[in-house]
Amino acid sequence: MGTAKEYTIDELMVCTLAKAFTSEDIILNGTVSFIPVSAVLLARATHAPGLTWVAGAVGVDAQPGAVIGNTLDPTMWKNCVMYLPQYEDMWSYVHRGTLETFCIRGAQIDQYGNINNSIIGSDYHKPKVRLPGSAGMGDMGSLDKRIFIWSTTHNPRTFVKKVDFRACVGWLDGGDSRAKLGLRNGPQLVITDLCVMDFEPDSKRMRLVSVHRGVTAKQVQEQTAFELVMPASVPETPAPDREYLRLLRDVVDPKAMRKIEFRGSATKV
Amino acid sequence: MTAKKEDKLVSLQQAAALVRDGDTIAMQGMGTQMSPLALVRELIRAGKRDLQVAMVVGGIGLDWMIAAGCVRKVMAIIINLDEFGMANNFRRAAEAQQLEIEEYTEHTILTRLGAGAMGLPFGVTRSGLGSDILGLHPDTTKVIQCPFTGKPVVACRALEPDVAILHAHRADRYGNIQFFPKPIWTDVDVFPRAAKKVIVSVEEIVENEEIRRTPERTGIPYFKVDALVHLPYGAHPCSLFPRYNFDRAVFQRYADESRTPEGTKAFLDEFVHGLKTHDEYLAKLGGPAALKNLEKWD
Repeated sequence: MGTAKEYTIDELMVCTLAKAFTSEDIILNGTVSFIPVSAVLLARATHAPGLTWVAGAVGVDAQPGAVIGNTLDPTMWKNCVMYLPQYEDMWSYVHRGTLETFCIRGAQIDQYGNINNSIIGSDYHKPKVRLPGSAGMGDMGSLDKRIFIWSTTHNPRTFVKKVDFRACVGWLDGGDSRAKLGLRNGPQLVITDLCVMDFEPDSKRMRLVSVHRGVTAKQVQEQTAFELVMPASVPETPAPDREYLRLLRDVVDPKAMRKIEFRGSATKV
Repeated sequence: MTAKKEDKLVSLQQAAALVRDGDTIAMQGMGTQMSPLALVRELIRAGKRDLQVAMVVGGIGLDWMIAAGCVRKVMAIIINLDEFGMANNFRRAAEAQQLEIEEYTEHTILTRLGAGAMGLPFGVTRSGLGSDILGLHPDTTKVIQCPFTGKPVVACRALEPDVAILHAHRADRYGNIQFFPKPIWTDVDVFPRAAKKVIVSVEEIVENEEIRRTPERTGIPYFKVDALVHLPYGAHPCSLFPRYNFDRAVFQRYADESRTPEGTKAFLDEFVHGLKTHDEYLAKLGGPAALKNLEKWD
């Protein structure tokens, strides 16, 4: 297909996340998740036609055509095969592990992929900053999900050594601490406005995989408040395929709703 | 806790009078969807105090109630205005330590309510294992060992709210509550079953025969419903899928004005205190033609 020369970071993030999804994935999404939902629709339209998506955790195999509303909104359930009742059905499938993949972002993400979106400060009850709350991340971290983390604010305030409040359980304290608690799966990939990262298999520390065009590994480390596992050489994040970019711009997210996620980001899109 | 097969239709004021100061209320809601906001406005006008609100997702209605001084404690998993950003009054109250917050994972609070609904002392889940959330309320969530496998599970103490408040599509006068296309959300499912009293507002009142023609749409039977209020557009400015969408203009205005306490007060004066009836509220929105505009979904 050939890769694109002109693209923006939001487009690169969506295309990179899309490439990580396969036809085997069963994915549900939460609120204000424009980048993951765009990636789901893009993957399904290209290399992963068999991917199963439960729109807003309600609309099974929905086909809204494009991102036409907020990601929890009923507009996104269009052409689904079932409205999944939440209390019995959705929670059964989530708890048992049938619905296996979930994407999460948060105000703080630490070196083991634990996430916080509840409070900033050392005392939960006397917060310096009160954030909206943990929502689904408190469930999904403990319920064996393959977790994809995304962030549009790669800076030392977001990427902290230890989260002030562990709402979402990532690799816990690293090593085998998550497995010892009996939790399967865990954080897989972290896609930010600067780079792509994964987790070193033994220590479960966050590891740099690739840097976006124009960004250096040194810059990524400077914007991260803990020491990243740093491979000997760090390649550039592959540019999006031209066809993926066309589909994203013209079909999947023509209103560019994904750019809403860059409010407060140092990266201009 | 069992309601009779009799006419449940009451006025908005009569329904609100069933909520007492200090009550634990289970309140339906999503960021921009399905919330009993006409009932919430009346609770605010009636000056309720010390309420303990249990929700899954708290949104605009809860933020109004916090601003109006109705709320002592919230039990929820997230409180925000969805794509419109922070719930500013929640944030201010939390940062000023004027609000008791019991944050849960979704499945721990649902398991509490599920145990309440069945009259069990507690329920179990694995949600939240390893997180700091469980430690926030050791008197209601506790890690225990499974008596059969020895594996850790989370025991969630039963929660039986004093009252549940909901908005739905239609009902007959006995309070057989129907949803279109069907009940989907947790709060129209477990909330009324767990609560001691249930108050529901609906878009439309239909004959009992119509309910009998479509029993598959009924989500709550008459014997669980204590009071019914007829409030068309009773979820406004939230949506009621598929009948009407949320009101983007009102949400944006509230998101902007609630950045300050003064702005919030002006908003509440205009949209809550300044309007004594639901009919006045609908007229303020511009009447039937303006409301018709909300029926677009794309």
